[in-house]
Amino acid sequence: MKVTYNWLKEFVDFDQSPEQLADLLTMLGLEVEGMENYGAGMDQVVVAVVEEKRQHPNADKLSVCRVNNGREIVDVVCGAQNFKAGDIVALAQIGAVLPGDFKIKRSKIRGEESCGMLCSEKELGLAEESAGIMILPPTLVPGTPVFESLGLKDTFFEIGLTPNRADCLSVIGVAREIAAKIGTSVKCNRIAVPEHGPSINSSITVSVEDSELCPRYAARAVHGCRIAPSPEWLVNRLAAVGVRSINNVVDVTNLVMMELGQPLHAFDCDQLVDSRIVVRRALEGEIFTTLDSQQRVLVASDLVICDAGGPVALAGIMGGENSEINDSTTSILLESAWFKPAAIRTTSKRLGLHTESSHRFERGTDIDGVIRALDRAAALVAELAGGTVAQGFIDVYPVKSVPPAISFRPERANALLGIKLSSKVMIDILRGLECSVTEMTDGILMVTPPSYRIDIEREIDLVEEIARLNGYDNIPASMPIARVISDRPSLHQRLESMLRNILVAHGMNEIINFSFTTPDAADKLLMSDVDPRRSVIKLANPLVEEQSVMRTSLIPGLLEAVAKNISHRSLDLRLFEMRRVYINRQNEEMPHEPIYLVGAFTGAREREGWGNSRDSIDFYDAKGVVENLLEELHISNVKWVVDTPETFYHPGKSCSIMVGKERLGTIGEIHPTVQKNFGLEKPVFCFELYFEKLVVLHRLKAAIVVPSRFPDSTRDLAMLASDCLSAEKILETVKGIKAQEIEHAEIFDVYKGAGIPTGFKSIAIRIRYRSYDRTLTDDEINIIHSRITENLVSKLKVSIR
Amino acid sequence: MREQLEQLRHEALKTVSDASSEETLQEARIRFLGRKGELTALMKGLGGLSADERPVVGQLVNSIRDEIENLFETALSAERERATVSRLQSERIDITLPGRRALRGSKHPITQVIAEVSEIFAGFGFSVAEGPEIEHDWYNFEALNFPPEHPARDMQDTFFTENSLLLRTHTSPVQIRTMLKTKPPLRIIAPGTVYRCDSDATHSPMFHQIEGLMIDKDVSFADLKGILTIFTNQLFGQKTGVRLRPSFFPFTEPSAEVDIACVICGGKGCRVCKQTGWLEILGAGMVDPEVYHHVNYDAEDISGFAFGMGIERIAMLKYGIRDMRLLFENDVRFLRQF
Repeated sequence: MKVTYNWLKEFVDFDQSPEQLADLLTMLGLEVEGMENYGAGMDQVVVAVVEEKRQHPNADKLSVCRVNNGREIVDVVCGAQNFKAGDIVALAQIGAVLPGDFKIKRSKIRGEESCGMLCSEKELGLAEESAGIMILPPTLVPGTPVFESLGLKDTFFEIGLTPNRADCLSVIGVAREIAAKIGTSVKCNRIAVPEHGPSINSSITVSVEDSELCPRYAARAVHGCRIAPSPEWLVNRLAAVGVRSINNVVDVTNLVMMELGQPLHAFDCDQLVDSRIVVRRALEGEIFTTLDSQQRVLVASDLVICDAGGPVALAGIMGGENSEINDSTTSILLESAWFKPAAIRTTSKRLGLHTESSHRFERGTDIDGVIRALDRAAALVAELAGGTVAQGFIDVYPVKSVPPAISFRPERANALLGIKLSSKVMIDILRGLECSVTEMTDGILMVTPPSYRIDIEREIDLVEEIARLNGYDNIPASMPIARVISDRPSLHQRLESMLRNILVAHGMNEIINFSFTTPDAADKLLMSDVDPRRSVIKLANPLVEEQSVMRTSLIPGLLEAVAKNISHRSLDLRLFEMRRVYINRQNEEMPHEPIYLVGAFTGAREREGWGNSRDSIDFYDAKGVVENLLEELHISNVKWVVDTPETFYHPGKSCSIMVGKERLGTIGEIHPTVQKNFGLEKPVFCFELYFEKLVVLHRLKAAIVVPSRFPDSTRDLAMLASDCLSAEKILETVKGIKAQEIEHAEIFDVYKGAGIPTGFKSIAIRIRYRSYDRTLTDDEINIIHSRITENLVSKLKVSIR
Repeated sequence: MREQLEQLRHEALKTVSDASSEETLQEARIRFLGRKGELTALMKGLGGLSADERPVVGQLVNSIRDEIENLFETALSAERERATVSRLQSERIDITLPGRRALRGSKHPITQVIAEVSEIFAGFGFSVAEGPEIEHDWYNFEALNFPPEHPARDMQDTFFTENSLLLRTHTSPVQIRTMLKTKPPLRIIAPGTVYRCDSDATHSPMFHQIEGLMIDKDVSFADLKGILTIFTNQLFGQKTGVRLRPSFFPFTEPSAEVDIACVICGGKGCRVCKQTGWLEILGAGMVDPEVYHHVNYDAEDISGFAFGMGIERIAMLKYGIRDMRLLFENDVRFLRQF
């Protein structure tokens, strides 16, 4: 919403500077989002008189003028032809800066000195096009800045209006706010309409068939008009608030809308079939061409203004081509009405047709302001288009709207706001807002808001007005008394934070992807046609196709992040994401939003450095992170089950992570085809964990194991084993001895290659023996160790090396 | 014999002062004091002395032996000390070479800001609540006093799903879900992901908010101002100016936008604050009675306030991020700075 400082001054007297006014409005809730000092830099463009005009000696199309700028006479070369000696013109002096950062300098044009430039309206930013230079009225005083003497110097305010303040979609509305704040009232003169000739009733009839959607419809007729361009002041005023000039009549309706907030429409009276206006709902499928030349298909909930032949306007939104004001129009019907906001909004939204008019109607206009706006427009049309206003006006207003009487308790307002204002101060504030206030005997106030404040319906609305006008700055800051103790973060919340800490400690960077993804994400992961994750939740109105479905897996986003980073030459990556996925549920309206935790590893194991290895990261690095994570959560008895859990993993390098029959997640190397689908050249290792399963299986640490005080002894054991023998089997066999003396057994070397027969591998394990109650002798250890060795040989068919 | 002893003493003194290493000192020591050394050899001559002379010379031998022993002991420890110093000198390393660093991980700045804000409010007695991101119109709009066909709905461009649910446009539905489950008094905050169909340098179609709600007897707008003032001071620094100005949200009345003095220019006016000296960081207000009506609370009996803030906005101010999209590009060159 745009208003100007000068325009506001026509409606209310105030002393505030533009900056002070902006602050005042912002603190009233009308946030000034932008200010523009129009004409501020134009003081070097002054009124001047052309004393003499002669032909340029060296150029046919140029003239050399002697121009009096009020102080001295200067020579100026000019290319325009539309002026003569004696004319008053706009002289941009040396040093002036015109719109477009055009600096005026002393120059020589074809050998003739030129001390400035005679300006056109276009050059001054006053018009989009102009022929020749601007000829000013002869009354202006030479030497004074042009913008100042034309009254163009102004400050434009851009106000970010909240949707509740429909009343402020006008200059008078903003002026009322200023008046209420500074304790004055707006200037609201009676409008004299020069009526002549026959009554309006002799030229037009109006019938409203749907008074629910159109409770009030008023009209006036103006005959004998001449459609012409608007005068300068009107064009400029509309331009200041961002409205393009059309012609004198349409401009008047727009001006009055901007001034009073009441949208108006002007019909060409002679085009109205049978000189009749009928306000009714549209017929289902009725076709109507609005004045933007678009064909609109209407539905029964739309409200239309019709003549005897059919629709001539989409009520409150846009007029029709068939009754539009054109250059040959002479009779005009001015419409001023009040339409039901929700109806206007429904039609406007359905048609995607948002206009200055619909914007105001859907927020709610002033039903008592209908006639004032109509009169103002009729008087202005008569003045500017030279017609005569027919006697009287039509006003179909069967049920007079009565603003609510609200009972208001001053002490309730004080309690809610935490202030102590007297009843009297509150009454003054409310009356300043043009509410009528009656004091009841019990201290309660009966308050009736003015008709334009449709947002005030309840006591709380009045409380807000008190707070607003008294000033939010005048409310103290206090601390509420605590009657609640905050809960400890839930287990779920604590685990989320704990998991992040564990992964960060493992050098992983947390990423956040959008929750919506591309519909072909499942294809890129090679998911089967029956994979439930293909049943995605689709957005009805996505911004782009790539963000049109809610994700059911975090893997695609993770791999995209890997690819994007690699394209930036960040090659060594450890990324994780812990967010929700969105799963459709059968027979349930609301989807399931479980949290998943995924991680990706690629590149080198260690960071680049003078003493660091450049070995590639592999499956076991990823597995190690998950093992540590599960250990910190005290989740034991974890099985790594080779079951080809996901299509997006390498079948030989992936597994499920199980506890009993519960799958906690999966881990593996990304399948080469998937890798290619995401544009990745090097292997990527990922894990995916289901957060809810971790919450369920997570255990609190029960008891610690007291370390033994006796010395340990280690024995190494190297064996040749079949390639298919799993490490898990070997360790299980070692522990299967169930000797308390085995403190720990670990695989410390795995080797395949030279010296080892094909189909075999060399595995070395280290066993640490220790007792809790004594120092073990070599003999004791040897007995256990040889039992282990025998077991390995007999049960696993390994050969000891 | 006395002369011989005296000469031995001289020789020892000279040898020690000439010695250049621990080795030569050790050799000389053995030569003078060893079992087959020169002093031992001299002592064999003690037997040939008279009974009168024997104790006197014997004493002299002892004192000279002690002297020579001390001499060697001192020289040896000085030599060892020197050798150690010299060895340590030669072992010098280049301590300016970079350390061998383990990989350092990082939490996303959004996660960090949520944790920081939650922690501050935990101190005020606010518990954390959560709710679904895919919501019913009723929780997201209607119960929050956005009637159907109300222009206030234009304030929040909404993504709808094909089965006519929506992606929540704010964390405020968590207020409704909490109030339906819990009776007052209550203090909660609800951090979460929200969505609006809007995308440019300052808008992302997905972003994060933290909602706050406090309901109790006699909670006032002044209390809201108090809580938010202390919160902004804890988050942005003790002296941060705070300004509340009137605004509009359907679910609060009176409503306020909360501005802080620009953390970039200190309130003088700059590009970030659009020359106003103020930065809008959250929206707030007293819970509208219409909302209580929807959750079966008695608006005459209790009162309360709600507030909501954009996490990205706070992160951008805290870290001087100009383009919100940077937060969602997942570039490790950015993430590793947190």
